[in-house]
Amino acid sequence: MSAISAPTTAPATGQQIRNVLLKYGFVIVLVVIFLYLSLATPNFFGLANLMGLLHAAAPLAVIASGLALVVFTGKLDISVGSIALLSVTIGALLLVRYGVHPLLCVLVILAIGAGVGAVNGFLIAALKINPLIVTLGMMLALRGLALQISEGRFITLPDDIRTLGSAQIGPVFVDVLIALGVLAVVHVIHTRTPFGRRLMAIGNGEDVAAGLGVRVNRLTFMTYVISGLLASFGGILSAIQVGTVSAFLGDGLEFTAVSVIVIGGISLFGGAGSILPGLLLGVLLLEMIRNGLTHLGASPYSYRLVNGIIIFVAMYADSLKSRVQTRLKVKRDG
Amino acid sequence: MITQPHLDMQHIVKSFPGVQALRGVQLQAWAGEAMALMGANGAGKSTLMNVLGGVIRADDGEIRIGSKAVTLRSPLDATANGIAFVHQEMALLPTMTVAENMHITRFPTRGGLINGKVMEARCNKVLSRLGCGFSPRTRVQDLSTGDRQMVEIARALLSEPSIILFDEPTSSLTSREKARLFDVIRALKQEGVTIIYITHFIDEIFQICERVTVLRGGETVGAGALKDFTPDQIVQLMIGDLDVEQREHRAVKTDTPALRVNGLTRDGVLNNISFTLHEGEILGLWGLLGSGRSETVRSVIGLDPLDSGTIELRVNGALKTVRPSEAQRHIGMITEDRRGEGLLLPMSVKNNLSLANLRQLLTQLGLVRERDEATLAQQFVDKLNIVTPNLRQPVRTLSGGNQQKVVVGRWLELNPPIFFMDEPTRGLDVGAKAEIRNIIFQLAEQRAAVLVISSEIEEMMALCDRYLVINRGQIVKELPGNASKNELMAAAAGAASEGMRA
Repeated sequence: MSAISAPTTAPATGQQIRNVLLKYGFVIVLVVIFLYLSLATPNFFGLANLMGLLHAAAPLAVIASGLALVVFTGKLDISVGSIALLSVTIGALLLVRYGVHPLLCVLVILAIGAGVGAVNGFLIAALKINPLIVTLGMMLALRGLALQISEGRFITLPDDIRTLGSAQIGPVFVDVLIALGVLAVVHVIHTRTPFGRRLMAIGNGEDVAAGLGVRVNRLTFMTYVISGLLASFGGILSAIQVGTVSAFLGDGLEFTAVSVIVIGGISLFGGAGSILPGLLLGVLLLEMIRNGLTHLGASPYSYRLVNGIIIFVAMYADSLKSRVQTRLKVKRDG
Repeated sequence: MITQPHLDMQHIVKSFPGVQALRGVQLQAWAGEAMALMGANGAGKSTLMNVLGGVIRADDGEIRIGSKAVTLRSPLDATANGIAFVHQEMALLPTMTVAENMHITRFPTRGGLINGKVMEARCNKVLSRLGCGFSPRTRVQDLSTGDRQMVEIARALLSEPSIILFDEPTSSLTSREKARLFDVIRALKQEGVTIIYITHFIDEIFQICERVTVLRGGETVGAGALKDFTPDQIVQLMIGDLDVEQREHRAVKTDTPALRVNGLTRDGVLNNISFTLHEGEILGLWGLLGSGRSETVRSVIGLDPLDSGTIELRVNGALKTVRPSEAQRHIGMITEDRRGEGLLLPMSVKNNLSLANLRQLLTQLGLVRERDEATLAQQFVDKLNIVTPNLRQPVRTLSGGNQQKVVVGRWLELNPPIFFMDEPTRGLDVGAKAEIRNIIFQLAEQRAAVLVISSEIEEMMALCDRYLVINRGQIVKELPGNASKNELMAAAAGAASEGMRA
């Protein structure tokens, strides 16, 4: 029977090459861009710049990892940027204006993130409202609420906290280590816990998963709670880095996060992709391009254009991949 | 022989609004034996099995497993009582591994993390028992259909069930995969498992089962050791003695071919399908579910891919070879899937009817002339007797029969010379069925060529001028319009055994 279980014929060389390209395409792109930037600009390839690059990527990586859990189930959460802004705004006000203990502020921020995530999850899982609409509404409403609370003003964090933002162990920024830690934990949750596997089952098809006894609603709810929690956590990292909480914190972040998820090979249809290495590579690629464009002397506005193009390419590769797979499957079934 | 049945279902009654699905069914199955559950569509097989699976609750009746009375309130209850299902539509997670598919609701964990070693060891044990060569780490999407079926069975075995239900397990398997499945079933029987085997293929039950229970109209009409039955007797029990009402129309069949297909082949699905459809003819493509009947019509109009074969259409009086995508423009396709075939449920009757022909309703500025649109829609509403309060009524609110008429109306407007109808009346009530049948007759009388597929033998017999019997992707027989019910049933079932020997 092994003749049936294994593909009977070796794929043609052309197909092999294509498969390799589809599988490792972004690693290759990453390496090529890295080499290009290293050779074409004097300052890109240097310890300080590379460490700075990772430093800048840390908050994004944390937020995207929470969002990735939602995407594994085939849904979306575009409220993460606003969750980050609102929770951090409230936390910063408590700290600066009311002198609440910093650790307590952190807990409040995380609780707000998880709380908003729970509301998202309730609306989506229990009331069956379209996830995109729910989180779009949240995105708009929470940003408005945050700006109302802060009256649109900058909230400058105390100096001792600002210095935390650039704390380093050796050449590595502390928040980079924290972000890597978060990625590692989310990776383990995704790959090694029943919870993570069942998210993938939901992404394969809610009805099938439900039919097998997976508690779809409950798990969906939990992904939004985690997404909200990590969004607020990413918001903390971001605010500490900058040293202030401004109206721009988390602006457009939801879309950057979705970008790195797509670039990292996580399918928006759900059920496919990985945190390590997938999401990490996505974050690195995007951050590297952002950093590289500065070094190339490009206009800062060009970044969004390039970002857009990368998303299209990544989406195209995603659909190409699923099409190739379907075709192979049809052939094998025959 | 063990005298005590392992599974004993007595006087199971279940009614749904308007339908008495089960009227006191009795079913007994013994350990170490396979029991074939037979019955035509609507006989109550699925309802009975859903009762046993804890999916629906019976209104009355008693279920005993191993002499203990059990209550099955949920699928979990069923699992706890040692009942496992192998479904016809496989409930698998394609992007996940075999091991994950088998364990999705019961991962072995240690400290909250999945214990991969234990999981794989458990999988390997079951997989080797099934004689499967693939690894637990293989992704299901990389497996063949037969292997996927094995994953489904492996998942059922994981809970060490004492009763396994196989629902149409062979409909998508090749003969080699089927032989392997039968080996597995034989091994399970030897281990003392009770098997309940549901299938349309009568030849299969004689290969694998010891006993048979036949349902008809929600009642047990026959049960006993299979060696006491002949296939014909089982067919007879399934369909009963009822005579079919007389054919409702005068044949207007001509000898002018409207469509001729030659050697349609798709690896593993269709095997050298050739037939000719004439103007004014209603041709029945008669076969069981999974026989390739839908795939045949779908591939003619390019909805499914084809490996080889030619399609000729009568265009301007002469047969012309066309590609499937071209054929699609000349063939009206009507299926049970009204939404899938493009009925826009939230939109009005009027908009749905005019959609296909909007271009003719445009003013010079490219705007729709609403008055003409209404006139046109009203024509079809009258002609097809579509029951709707007004033309602005959303199609969603109409009954199934009237929705189907809107679909037909849309095609009538385009006036294609050929119609394919795949289960055109499924899910409709008796009156609506008759109305749709009348529309089909009218189409044929206006010299349209119609190909009909239906699971309901009565409907086929009421409609068709001629039958092609299809089985496992092959046309195995042609029968005239006056073929009897027995002949048709036997052809589909008997054809199955011919297919086996081939």
